[in-house]
Amino acid sequence: MSSNFHLPPLEIESYTLENGLRVVLNQDDSVPVVAIAVYYDVGSRNERKGRTGFAHLFEHMMFQGSENVKKAEHFQFIMKAGGTMNGTTSSERTNYYETLPANQLPLGLWLESDRMRSLAVTQENLDNQREAVKEEKRLRYDNQPYGQIFDLIAEMIYTNFANSHSTIGSMDDLDDATVEDVQEFFRVFYAPNNAVLTVSGAFDTETAKGLIQSFFGDIPSQPLPQRVNVEEPDEVAVRYKEWEDKLAPFPAFLVGWKIPPRRSPEFNALFLAGKVLYDGESSRLYQKLVKGDESVIQLFGFTDERRGPSSIFVGAIPKPEKDLSKIRDVIMTEIAHIAEHGPTADEMQKLHNQLINDTVRHRQSSQSRAQAIAEFALYDGDPWLINSELETLLAITPEQIRLSVDRYLNSENRALLDVVPAGMG
Amino acid sequence: MTQTSLKSAPSPLAPVPFNVPPAHKTTLDNGLRVILFRDSRLPLTSFRLAFLTGDIHDPIDNIGLTSALASMLTEGTENYSSLQLAEKVERLGASLSASASDDFTIISGSSLALYNSEILGLLAEIVFTPTFPENELDLYRRNTIENLKFQRSQPNFLAGEQTARVIYGVHPYSRVSPTAEDVEKLRSSTMSNFHRRQFVPNNAVLIVVGDLELDPMLEEIRDHFGDWPRGVVETNTPPAPPEMDKTRLTIVDRPGSAQSNIVLSNLAIPRNDPEYFPVLVMNQILGAGASSRIFMNLREEKGYTYGAYTRFDSKRLTGSFEATAEVRTAVTGESLNEFFFELGRIRDEDVLQEELDDAKNFLTGVFPIRAETQEGMTNLIVTQELYGLADDYLQSYRENVSAVTADDVKRVANRFIHPDRLSIVIVGDANEILPQTEGRADKAFVFDTDGNEIQSP
Repeated sequence: MSSNFHLPPLEIESYTLENGLRVVLNQDDSVPVVAIAVYYDVGSRNERKGRTGFAHLFEHMMFQGSENVKKAEHFQFIMKAGGTMNGTTSSERTNYYETLPANQLPLGLWLESDRMRSLAVTQENLDNQREAVKEEKRLRYDNQPYGQIFDLIAEMIYTNFANSHSTIGSMDDLDDATVEDVQEFFRVFYAPNNAVLTVSGAFDTETAKGLIQSFFGDIPSQPLPQRVNVEEPDEVAVRYKEWEDKLAPFPAFLVGWKIPPRRSPEFNALFLAGKVLYDGESSRLYQKLVKGDESVIQLFGFTDERRGPSSIFVGAIPKPEKDLSKIRDVIMTEIAHIAEHGPTADEMQKLHNQLINDTVRHRQSSQSRAQAIAEFALYDGDPWLINSELETLLAITPEQIRLSVDRYLNSENRALLDVVPAGMG
Repeated sequence: MTQTSLKSAPSPLAPVPFNVPPAHKTTLDNGLRVILFRDSRLPLTSFRLAFLTGDIHDPIDNIGLTSALASMLTEGTENYSSLQLAEKVERLGASLSASASDDFTIISGSSLALYNSEILGLLAEIVFTPTFPENELDLYRRNTIENLKFQRSQPNFLAGEQTARVIYGVHPYSRVSPTAEDVEKLRSSTMSNFHRRQFVPNNAVLIVVGDLELDPMLEEIRDHFGDWPRGVVETNTPPAPPEMDKTRLTIVDRPGSAQSNIVLSNLAIPRNDPEYFPVLVMNQILGAGASSRIFMNLREEKGYTYGAYTRFDSKRLTGSFEATAEVRTAVTGESLNEFFFELGRIRDEDVLQEELDDAKNFLTGVFPIRAETQEGMTNLIVTQELYGLADDYLQSYRENVSAVTADDVKRVANRFIHPDRLSIVIVGDANEILPQTEGRADKAFVFDTDGNEIQSP
């Protein structure tokens, strides 16, 4: 059934302004909504030692005012226009986006252009956002059971500082950030030639092009920042670590492997292997551990996709009396089984239908289209990949999955983090 | 365009209309209401079969029954085991699940449109012939008990539990989850009986949104659900929640907390209350979003928190108002000051015309964005149908928002926010918090994270 499924391609137009800003337009007027996404080629991978967390702190500063937009006005302009907006920071990039009623396209473009052109940075705003970021760190990481385990295992998997340190950063480094750091970071990384602008949804193409030229056209370009070196040895940095978590009610563990970069054939094969292992109630590990052995409360797994060396994780919160090493044996046995036999024909059919379903679903929202297109444009220089990625994934063979699992997962070259509850008084 | 035109925000383009066509509604002879809505933008379909039976309808000696029943629907039927069901659904790349909330039990399915018939068939299978197998129920009981323990490590669960207990009192909305003892008592036979009585067509609504042809879909629905025999729908009125005559302070001691989770709350309105739209606009100005007063004050001006918000949680029978923030422990007292300042201000002073316009523009503008995905559109229709909202609710939504005045805002702020008699719940390090809450209430009721009242931390 899946092999003859046909999804019409998205309309994509891509061009570059004279200052180097890459623009991608995806016109689709099924709902009178327009999505704007600006992706800057800067993330925590670009941070230097002593300034961890800076890319994310900087993201907050982008909402604190620019030449013609006062502090907090960005939120207000978008909300009073009936829109939604946000920004996020990862290891790979920092993004800013808004979704607006179609007739408010000029407002969204103007707001993004004003802060790309000129950021207003004051000591007071920096101090205030530093506090907001610290509360965000406490809320999401320090005050949550198991909240820090993904940052900890990244430090175990990667040896290169660019890859291994956390995006949220350390409290000390946040304290050390200065107004001059913010200004320099803006100059180096927030230039039009270091960014991609994507517009998706209901708009007239000529109108959009005119607006983009008038708002962004004369923002000066900058010398491109040095490319960050994200190379890694094949070996993981640390094989084992025990972590005392004072908020965790149960022991837990997380296993992580270092794998090839996103969109490489090996990464794609491992992404599919992960789905076979842990995605959904019919997945192998769910059936073995949650159902069969009834040994775990929660089972989870995912891939962390990066332009450089990436990673894949499987974790579990076992039931209190269960032997953690036996659960890990089950996981490794299942991995060894795939390494020997590959996925079954039934599993391949399931994967294919799930890939098609997910692709169709992600097309519904203009904002999710805009973001997916922006990633392909920024990381791969090819926004049209949005139209061929499904076929690429559908073409992966059971043998490719088998080989990649054998080479990368069926191995002692993995990091194991044991979480030990340290009690709460 | 000249350089000077970049100095101020550009004017919008001509507005683009957004019209929600009416849904196709019919009722089968057995009382099953059927709502079909065509959305052919992409080859996808969403199904919801909703029963007007929720956690509040749990028999008093079987708390947790409705949620357990919902979870168990996909754990075995007369024809398929739990694994076979999961495989059948996932092999289509589809999803099929069921869950219960306070007021409703909803079975949700979604799939590529080419699998509509298969999903509808599987949906009928789990609704009509669940077997609640003992081994699966046993697993459910044990996993649920472990999850209850896990929830207790999360501060927002603890805050929600105490808040519901204080403001809803003996009303069943006060229960946010069953106890381990309740879960131990769940039996397959009780589940079958409850299923037989509650899962009747005259207690249900079937909503299908997506890439479908009306007549063939209706015919298929009749094939599956037309012979379903009508039942007797039991209605009983739960006891009323308490009237609060003074502020009650509850602290959950969680030593080692990095933050205080603050929840201020009082009773407010059910979802179908005529004051819904004035409340919606008032809440938008006060605390619903990142440009609302409370966020601007506690985060943007003071830097006490990553986020501070208010919301109206309006259920079928009644509802609550809540103001929440997670703040660093040392500024718990100052944060309370700012919350009470804002709650007083929205009651005592007229909102500015600009604030009112901004809030209304946001709510009307964001409406098509919420309807952009099929899931979003389906959720709007589910809300309209389950809470018994007006037939033209989706069509008149934006007009109703636009009609709200500054007087309306002040009126509903005074009617539904009670700073002098509300529940204050704070989860965090009690030793640090107690000195910062002096004078907020006659006394502080302190609980441990297991939910037991303790004398002092």
